[in-house]
Amino acid sequence: MSASATEYVSRSLLSVTVRRASVSGRFFLVYGTVISALFGVLLAHFSGPSFATSYPLFLPIFGVVGSMGGLLVFTSDRTKGVLEYLLAYGYSPRRLFANVLLTTLVLVSIVVGIGVSVSLGVYFAEGHTVTSTLAISMGVYAVPMAFACAAFASTVGVYWTALSSPRMGMTSPVGLIPFIGILPALVTLFAIIATALSGPLSTSTLLLILGSGMGLAAIFVIVLLVSMGRLLRRERLLSPA
Amino acid sequence: MSTGSATNVPDTSVSAGNGVGIECRSVTAGYLGSRVLHQISFRITEPSIYVVLGPNGAGKTTLFRTLAGILRPYEGEVYIGGEPIDRQSSRDRLHYLAHMDGLPDGLSVREALEFFARVEGAQLGDVNRVLDQLEIRDLSAKFPSQLSAGQRKRVSIARVFLRERSIYLLDEPTANLDPKVAREIRELILKLSREKIVLYSSHNLFEAREIGRYVLVIKSGQISRFDRIENVRGSRYVLGIRVLQPSPALAAYDHEGEYYLRELSGPEEVPAVLRELMAQGVQIREAREMENPLEDLFT
Repeated sequence: MSASATEYVSRSLLSVTVRRASVSGRFFLVYGTVISALFGVLLAHFSGPSFATSYPLFLPIFGVVGSMGGLLVFTSDRTKGVLEYLLAYGYSPRRLFANVLLTTLVLVSIVVGIGVSVSLGVYFAEGHTVTSTLAISMGVYAVPMAFACAAFASTVGVYWTALSSPRMGMTSPVGLIPFIGILPALVTLFAIIATALSGPLSTSTLLLILGSGMGLAAIFVIVLLVSMGRLLRRERLLSPA
Repeated sequence: MSTGSATNVPDTSVSAGNGVGIECRSVTAGYLGSRVLHQISFRITEPSIYVVLGPNGAGKTTLFRTLAGILRPYEGEVYIGGEPIDRQSSRDRLHYLAHMDGLPDGLSVREALEFFARVEGAQLGDVNRVLDQLEIRDLSAKFPSQLSAGQRKRVSIARVFLRERSIYLLDEPTANLDPKVAREIRELILKLSREKIVLYSSHNLFEAREIGRYVLVIKSGQISRFDRIENVRGSRYVLGIRVLQPSPALAAYDHEGEYYLRELSGPEEVPAVLRELMAQGVQIREAREMENPLEDLFT
């Protein structure tokens, strides 16, 4: 296969996977997007300025739930022999894992994009303005943390699936992964609360905690991705013989 | 043609028309360190159907996965057209059909075939051709969950007709199919084998005799036999005869259900036996082979 053909096929694999994840995981995608927008609208309308500190807390949860389609497709593909097919035609396991991760990030961008734009639209329509609290909570915490949590959930889910016994109906971690996926957000929030309880919380300390939370999640994802070649052998991706 | 053993390299000894062959050199492979294949060696260069036979768990699927480059051998090498299998140019010379359907969820039949066409470097126009060739055009808009097992298998097999390749690895392509669909698929594969090397796994002995020209038998992860199918003869050939009315002429025959049994040295004796019985007034309703000689290969 020529380089251009490989590139074309790779782009094609991502676009097809995103489409399939949107179809197979439509319940998760619609649920995450609708709840994200609905929550934002209600908070923007009824809670006033506290929207800036309340809505960002929930956004990563909606993002993780809405992006489950990527993992759903990976789990199904492993059981049904699609991953085996792609391996036979030259795709590497790392490429397949990266494809799931990218699919997850595309889906989370849909959930976050719609949720945030609808919520902020209502918030500004109510006469509120951009404050530093809103900018930090949305721009520095909520949106990046939604992506970090979704990537974390996706990577853990891929490992979980691959390390499980490849028996029909026994490999899907999709039901539990949303709870695991929000761990980075929960740990970060606990760290903020613990720091605030021990004394005044400065903006720089807040930013440091937020950055550390997301940084640790990102490092965890990168380490797992880099280690996939050694930790997950290709036979882990095969359907039952 | 020589008979293969675990360590020898049997050769079909007839060159392929296109010069592309498949070769296993002392391959040991398996899963997560557990060895399933042990020192497998063979070389195939002649376009034909090679039935890979073996009981469940013998290592047929593991062999196909290793030949397709999915599993990496712990020892030994696999070569396609003289090049190692891990090169993309080698992979581009073979088609692999797994025993699972491999149809992606969330795509209709047409969309799935278009996806396969892109992955395999085929033209999208080829999708229309195989939809007609496999008579699955009416399934185009359906999703895998809406198809029967036979329809899914047919769509799955359509994939290997999207683009011509030199070598086809077909892992139990007719498993779980009804006899009519299985026969149609075998006919398609027979046409394919005129110019291509087709490795076709099965544990169905009758199917092996019907479709195969060569047989490669795997037992406990080793090649126990590799030979032309006509050279593979069991020690017994048992003819079963069903009659309309019992006859004294059959008094010396054994029984098995409604069948009278007679052991012969081979199928060439059947016409004479039937003629003799009919001459004695026996009204024959059915005559069939009661045991497949290939069964001996499994024991």
